[in-house]
Amino acid sequence: MRNFKTTALLLTVPASLVAIGLYAAPILQVLALSLTEPKFGLANYQSLFANAAVGRVVMTTLKVSLMTTVLTVLASYVVAFAIIHMSAGWRRISLFLVLVPFWISVLVRAFSWITILRRRGVLNSALMEMGVISSPLDLVYNLFGVTIGMVHYMMPFAILLLYANLSDIDRRIMQAARSLGARPATIFWRVWLPLSLPGIALATLFVFVFSLGFLVTPALLGAGKTLMIAEYISVQISSTSRWDLATSLSTMLLLVVGIIVFAAMRSPALRAAFVARPQQ
Amino acid sequence: MTISHFAQDAAQIALEKFNRGEIDRRSFLFALGGLGLAAAFKPGVAQADASEIVVCNWGGAAADAFAKAYGDPFTKKSGMKVVIDGAGPAVGTIRAMVESGKVIWDATDGGMIDSLTLGKGNLVEPIDYTIVDKSQVPENFAGEFGVSNYVYSNVLAYDAEATKGTAPTGWADFFDTAKFPGKRTMCKWIQGQLEFVLMADGVAPADLYPLDVDRAFKKLKPMLADIIFWEGGAQTQQLFREGEVVMGNIWHTRANLLNKETPDKFKWIWEQNILSASAWSVPKGNPAGKKVFDFINSTLDPAGQLVLLQIMGNGPSNPKTLALMTPADAAVNPTTKENAASQIMLNPAYYAEHETELQNKYLDFISS
Repeated sequence: MRNFKTTALLLTVPASLVAIGLYAAPILQVLALSLTEPKFGLANYQSLFANAAVGRVVMTTLKVSLMTTVLTVLASYVVAFAIIHMSAGWRRISLFLVLVPFWISVLVRAFSWITILRRRGVLNSALMEMGVISSPLDLVYNLFGVTIGMVHYMMPFAILLLYANLSDIDRRIMQAARSLGARPATIFWRVWLPLSLPGIALATLFVFVFSLGFLVTPALLGAGKTLMIAEYISVQISSTSRWDLATSLSTMLLLVVGIIVFAAMRSPALRAAFVARPQQ
Repeated sequence: MTISHFAQDAAQIALEKFNRGEIDRRSFLFALGGLGLAAAFKPGVAQADASEIVVCNWGGAAADAFAKAYGDPFTKKSGMKVVIDGAGPAVGTIRAMVESGKVIWDATDGGMIDSLTLGKGNLVEPIDYTIVDKSQVPENFAGEFGVSNYVYSNVLAYDAEATKGTAPTGWADFFDTAKFPGKRTMCKWIQGQLEFVLMADGVAPADLYPLDVDRAFKKLKPMLADIIFWEGGAQTQQLFREGEVVMGNIWHTRANLLNKETPDKFKWIWEQNILSASAWSVPKGNPAGKKVFDFINSTLDPAGQLVLLQIMGNGPSNPKTLALMTPADAAVNPTTKENAASQIMLNPAYYAEHETELQNKYLDFISS
């Protein structure tokens, strides 16, 4: 057994080397630049905190990411919960439908949402024809449109994470609850929900961290008015040549994400999500 | 930067026309040649070699087949191969290259403003005017670190159906929502944006620079909710076509395409149009050395610049091209005398000094 473990560990060495060379090294380079551009020191980080514009970009990013996370996890929970209660055939079809957006590029999805949400788009036209509204609603090129696009992008991930967790829950516990006289609502609130907390925690963390780095969706659906960190960094690198700002902001983002993940992993719910699944 | 976005956009226009069969392969190649986009397209990173010219631009849409058709004549004339790298000569990329001593580009398709920024950073060679014929272009198009091979304008385009036939008369109408109800579009890249806002607010063209940023923001603030900010040329056409906006500050090339599509619906005015100039720059320590200036000189030829106008709408930097134009060509060209009557020229020196700060202020302003 000991031998097997050593061999297994050795087998991960090439992949680790590639990851270090292609991933860790450039990140360290960014870190180095943030400390040396234009001269050595922590001045870039100081000016980062003094920069009101950066503060607003960070607040926008947090606001959009939090909204996306809450909506995504809520909606995905409903979908995942429904899927595990389906017959095997329907479940296959539903999972397939969940996966379809996975195969479509983020650009195509953003443009599709524009088609649906724009002033003369599918949704506004339908609503106007039905007489629900008299003038088109502003559904895109604003925060609302960005959030819709991001929730749509994140939902398959969250659904799959929640589905994996929910389908691992031992159904005999619900039978036991029912035999003791619990109503369906009680079973959901007191049995399903507590047992699915690890899945919810994992999906929340994943969606939130992923949302912080969105680039294409806010750029296209926000039309310049929803400026998030990733786009801001990309502008500072390629357009304004403010490498000091770009590299220190990237490093801060990485650091904050690292802290969030580290802190979250210490919570009991997330640790439970990573322990070996109980065998039925 | 606006200029890089524009060059990329121009190549895209040509490719779309070519795909629709509106232009033949020969003209397409010729046009790309004028942009410095032709010759052998080599995907990935170009290799430095003293026997070829490596040109970096923004449109990697070219393919080997048509590349050969343009590359061969050039090679015959100069004995040198021209290789195109579509990686995009962002100022930051050029800086990284020069500072690491691994320069692989000979000529870069940036703007006048980029050339000044690069020159100030000591990252580019001065243009060698013993080889490049300075007399081919107006004086202000022949900078120390960049020489212009085409120009373009920001114009006020409008949806004539939505305005019920009433034509706007200047930038002031951009802000007149009572007379012209509906949304507007303008660019999220700063070049040519605050100028029109200030002119709408009554600033005389001669007094534009230095730009009064606070005054421009104050004028723009009440309009923000009605403005959709564009970042690429194709998007501006889309916004007009879909009826999303009734009016906008867009590139004349895209206004022209919209007009060709639906002549009675989409129009533009030349009043107070804002002219920008592109420029070739030569990164310090370029592999081909002085030979690159022969290539640059060849792109100033009026015949090539005319085809560039006919295919993509880019205006010529060489005034001799005007004499070769048909009335139809002249009508869509920003340097034609009538079209340039109330034109203002973007001030490259001002942008070279302030663009970074201005762009960030502007992004902060429109997103908060």
